[in-house]
Amino acid sequence: MFPRCPVGGGPVGAVVSGVRRPVRAFGLLLALATATAACGDSPAEVASVQGAAASVDLGAFDGTVRIGAALSETGKFAVEGKDSRQGYDTWARWVNEDYGGIRIAGGRYAAEIVYYDDESDADTAANLVQRLIDTDEVDFLLGPYSSGLTTGTSAIAEANDVIMVEGNGTSDTMFERGFQNLFLVATVAGDYTRSAIEALAARGAVTAVIAHEDTTFPTAVAVGARRHLEAAGIEVLAIETYPKDIQDVSAIMTKFRNLDPDVFLGGGHYNDAVLFVNAADELGFEPDAMLITVGPSNPRLVDQLDDDVDGVLGPTQWEATMAYEGDWFGSAADYAAYYQRLWGEPPVYQAASATAAALALHLAIESAGSTDTDAVRRALRSLQADTFYGPIAFDERGVNVAKPMGTIQVQDGRILVVAPDAAAVAGLVYPRG
Amino acid sequence: MSYFAQALINGIALGGMYTILVLGFSVIWGVMGVINLAHGEFVMVGAYLAWMASDFWDVDPFVSAPAVFGVMVLFGYLVQRVLVNRVINRSALVSLLVMFGVSIILQSIMKIAFSADFRLANTDLDGAWRLTDRLTIPVTRFWVLVVAVGVTAALSLFLGRSRLGKSIRAAAQNREAARIVGVDISKVYAVTFALCIGLTGVAGALVSPLLAVQPFQGPPLTLKAFAITAVAGLGSVRGALGGAMVLGLVEAMLALYVDRIGTNLAVVASFVLLVAALVLRPQGIFKGLRHVDATST
Repeated sequence: MFPRCPVGGGPVGAVVSGVRRPVRAFGLLLALATATAACGDSPAEVASVQGAAASVDLGAFDGTVRIGAALSETGKFAVEGKDSRQGYDTWARWVNEDYGGIRIAGGRYAAEIVYYDDESDADTAANLVQRLIDTDEVDFLLGPYSSGLTTGTSAIAEANDVIMVEGNGTSDTMFERGFQNLFLVATVAGDYTRSAIEALAARGAVTAVIAHEDTTFPTAVAVGARRHLEAAGIEVLAIETYPKDIQDVSAIMTKFRNLDPDVFLGGGHYNDAVLFVNAADELGFEPDAMLITVGPSNPRLVDQLDDDVDGVLGPTQWEATMAYEGDWFGSAADYAAYYQRLWGEPPVYQAASATAAALALHLAIESAGSTDTDAVRRALRSLQADTFYGPIAFDERGVNVAKPMGTIQVQDGRILVVAPDAAAVAGLVYPRG
Repeated sequence: MSYFAQALINGIALGGMYTILVLGFSVIWGVMGVINLAHGEFVMVGAYLAWMASDFWDVDPFVSAPAVFGVMVLFGYLVQRVLVNRVINRSALVSLLVMFGVSIILQSIMKIAFSADFRLANTDLDGAWRLTDRLTIPVTRFWVLVVAVGVTAALSLFLGRSRLGKSIRAAAQNREAARIVGVDISKVYAVTFALCIGLTGVAGALVSPLLAVQPFQGPPLTLKAFAITAVAGLGSVRGALGGAMVLGLVEAMLALYVDRIGTNLAVVASFVLLVAALVLRPQGIFKGLRHVDATST
């Protein structure tokens, strides 16, 4: 690791030399910590044959398919970035150890993923993707986490004619640019809340309020939500926006409490879900339904907020309880069990989306019989596969239009799919208790 | 009317949180001339300590806060003796860079130790007191406010009445003059830094049930502390309380009375106030620990 890590390795000697003895130990400790942090987690980390480096014999393969990904290990998207990376690594480990490598024209090729930490920053992510293409010479790209980061990195990929398959950048506007090399296995942001809104309308909800972070993805979700609310005959009483890294949403929830809506819809990221649920509790704001974009489907939020999050709804790209099955990984439950064995925790949908993105690329490469960009692009466009993640079939924009979005509800500490009806394992509790 | 009253309650509660978050930053800047860019990270470390106490031993953050204070005082003392003390006489830029380095180091260490997962401490002092259907007092924030006011009063008394406190103020006003009359500047700085990091750790403990605890939560908190301190006046303890309250109320009112973008405007407000204060009243609204130049008298 250290030869690849000039930032962490270089200054250590300079920091330690010339300091007096009492300081030396502490200085050395701090310098080592810096070096460790920089080498372990910074952009300079390269992970070859992810998740399988210790046990896979590269000599057993006929070659390597090199794939690059910029992911957030630090910064605002660190949690989702970690889940996405574990999702990619799950595929890499499975394809190398269990599946026997990617099958191309009679040969078997190891999958290698080169990672960099984009620090949750769009400019950094774009630079790193350029570096993956120019310096690391990757054959294909997997997407970063979030629409904001995918927007810029996909433009770099398009300009260099490199295919990027992704599962965690879902803003609709990305797919209105006419790009030929961007493919999304997940449902687009504009349709995130559709099944939940239709289910709530069917149960009598007539008014709603929306609060969303004013960044790319939450805005796309909110615009879509408004469209679906109006289509379902639910009146939108107010829309509030807020900046990222917000620390207090009391004012927004106070406004909404006075409007007494049936449905509260909050669109942001994980920490926003914590703020919304806590502020609603503190202010006695009790809408009949709370639908929050990111958070409720994550078991960590349920652990941390206990009863306060009970009854909260959230969209989900995927849950282990869904009745999806495929020839790769088996059923959704089989995938979840495999993931649990690898990482010691159940997969959240961001992880499953990442695995599905890598799997779609894998299937297209096999179908094309080569790693030629044009051939793989054609294979992706004609791909039709049933997988643990649901059906995958891309339209002309590169969006997977075969898979509907699900809705979960936290019920007695359990995360249960309640919509659409075809995927539901429990009834929607409305109004929430 | 209840709408306005709720905005007042929200603003005062937010001001209480800002007060406890800004005290340590303000006094370190005022007394030592060090802009502690790692302030938010010290908050974060305190929050992690409280979260650990909550998660591992089921100790409420309000109960573990004194222990967090003790641990952070020791940590602050160590950082001061080993790092800050060695650059304090050099240009302000050096101490700024050192503290920036400390912030990155603390972020990295906490990420390695705890991963980037979000954590929340549990407190029994949660929920709301419902005065009417449209008027509630958030319990956690109320107790944060109580602690903030108590700590402000105690710190103010300490600086105003105790011998050590007077030494700290003397060192802030004129280091050379204080040294001539026998004040041990090195000791004063060590105590000031340790005490302030202790208070900053307490701030972290108190907000650990309110804001998700994670390794990268620090920078926005440092920025907020910077703005409040510059507006209120460096090192002014009562100024920190006043500035935090003013900002809390301005933010709450803007967020509540401006539709759609009110919360965005509220976040901008602190920096508008910062620019206005720097241009119109550079010594801060409440004045602070002012430097007295011995050669000019």
